[in-house]
Amino acid sequence: MFDYIALGVFSLIIIGMAAYGYRISAKTAEDFMLGGRTIGLVVMFFFVLFAISSSWTFYGFPGVLYLHGPGYVFFIWGSVAGFAGLYMFLGPRLWALAKINRFLSPVEALAERYESKALRIILSATILAFIVPYVGIQPLGVGRGFEALTGMPVWVGATYTAVLLIILVILGGMRIVAWVNIFLGVVYITALLGSLFWVIAVVFPNGGVVEAAQIILASEPAKLSTPGPLGVYTPVLVIGTFIVGLLAFSWPHVIIGAMTARDKTLFKWFPILVFIFGGLFFYIIPFVWGSLIAPAALPGITDVAEADRVVQTVIQTFLPRWFAVFVLMGVIAAAVSTAAVQLMTSSIIVARDVIQGVLKPDADDAEITLWARISVIAIVVLSLGVTVAVTLGIGEEAMALYLSDVSVPGFAQWAPALVGGLLWKRGTRQGALAATSVGVIYLALGLLITGPGGSRPLLFNLHPVIPTLPINALVYIVVSYLTEKPSEEIIEVFFNEVDDYLLSEKS
Amino acid sequence: MREILAHTPGKIYLLVLLLSIVIMAVAVGMGALDTPADGVPVLVFGWMTMPLVMGVVFVVVWLIAYLIYFLKFWPYR
Repeated sequence: MFDYIALGVFSLIIIGMAAYGYRISAKTAEDFMLGGRTIGLVVMFFFVLFAISSSWTFYGFPGVLYLHGPGYVFFIWGSVAGFAGLYMFLGPRLWALAKINRFLSPVEALAERYESKALRIILSATILAFIVPYVGIQPLGVGRGFEALTGMPVWVGATYTAVLLIILVILGGMRIVAWVNIFLGVVYITALLGSLFWVIAVVFPNGGVVEAAQIILASEPAKLSTPGPLGVYTPVLVIGTFIVGLLAFSWPHVIIGAMTARDKTLFKWFPILVFIFGGLFFYIIPFVWGSLIAPAALPGITDVAEADRVVQTVIQTFLPRWFAVFVLMGVIAAAVSTAAVQLMTSSIIVARDVIQGVLKPDADDAEITLWARISVIAIVVLSLGVTVAVTLGIGEEAMALYLSDVSVPGFAQWAPALVGGLLWKRGTRQGALAATSVGVIYLALGLLITGPGGSRPLLFNLHPVIPTLPINALVYIVVSYLTEKPSEEIIEVFFNEVDDYLLSEKS
Repeated sequence: MREILAHTPGKIYLLVLLLSIVIMAVAVGMGALDTPADGVPVLVFGWMTMPLVMGVVFVVVWLIAYLIYFLKFWPYR
């Protein structure tokens, strides 16, 4: 009974915040989609941090560390550099460009920069194709948490999360998604850090983390260094993992955060918070969980699905049941905080880029806001298909790898057009169209055409991003040089005006 | 990025960031993270594994470089 009361109160807080957000919102498309471009530094930081810290930080990340040792942490070091780099190098220009020209989506900004409706369609379709299943993974994570704690089937937890998401995003819009992310983040950090300290106090009372490390050193020392007990994390894979993390700057749900900023000073302080709070504190928590505490407290797990659940299993084994319910709340918080921002991003692309940009150019503010809300429901229903598929035993293994093997390489395919569009005057429409098309087609074929034992011959059996992104970037540069340079008007609007605005006092 | 590359401190700052990545990649390639020949993994303070130590050093280098650069030369003020 306590379980349901606690989860009920938790849900009511989120719904209450969403309802309050609806009451105070300006009811414009800009307010719904970008929070009226009034998000300040602290809200922005936690909004973005918890948008990227999904239930993966509770399940997938510690699970890989548990099985393979600490080498996988280089994904985090790459991500920290990638997020900081976005706010140092690309963020200010994208923010200024969107603010001057009232762009509501990064896809819209690039379509105007390259003067191409075709690019708008390609980018919208690509981002939606890679982000929608990613949204579906979050309710699935909660469903598994519910199942492990209460014994209820996976679909119960997944449906609960889906309903919560629909209410939050449809009522609240981007501003309240950002505010709710702070509440959700506090719940998640308290659950993850609180459980870590408590388990250490109960299981390793004499030496804490040092005692845990000594236990692993005595029984399975290979889990304390690379390449790990199974020899997976070779130097080549560690460097590749770092590069994949570095590409975090191209995640659409992170990029769109930069467009909601109140003013340019946010970009000055944001990287410091990423380094200190993200790199040196937040991500260390699941790292210690997965690489030290779980292997010392519950050694011997070899099954991937069991390893993914190992943090929850340790908590349920050593801590009181009421705290396990609180930790499940933390998992729900992590899942909802990520899925809500991904949903907002997807709905903006559907409403602004597909409906207004292509199908119905004369749609007014109220219409595109309505379309954004309708698309939220459609995307959630579609993403629940992931839960249904996994419940039926389809694609179980594929889902576990979706983030690193499909989503990240998929998001990376618009990186050359994005970086070139914002920073390189010589980048052309033909270059962006050719590069994005080649990159996406190569990635799709590389993932679909498999050889013996699931090998990927077209990708040279490398991580999917390693061969596809350089080809994409090369095509972008070569085709841009071979085609006519952008017009003076484009240079004026997308470079000179942005330079002037960023250097002026009024921004 | 364009503004950062437009002046010498910005160029030095970018060079530091790139060098830190190259040095880390070379160190990883030379086996700095691997178990030593005696089979006992290196643990700093009795619990910090080498991938954690190297990552923390990397983040601290980026943080210090950023603090020095943005406090004196942030291009958008």
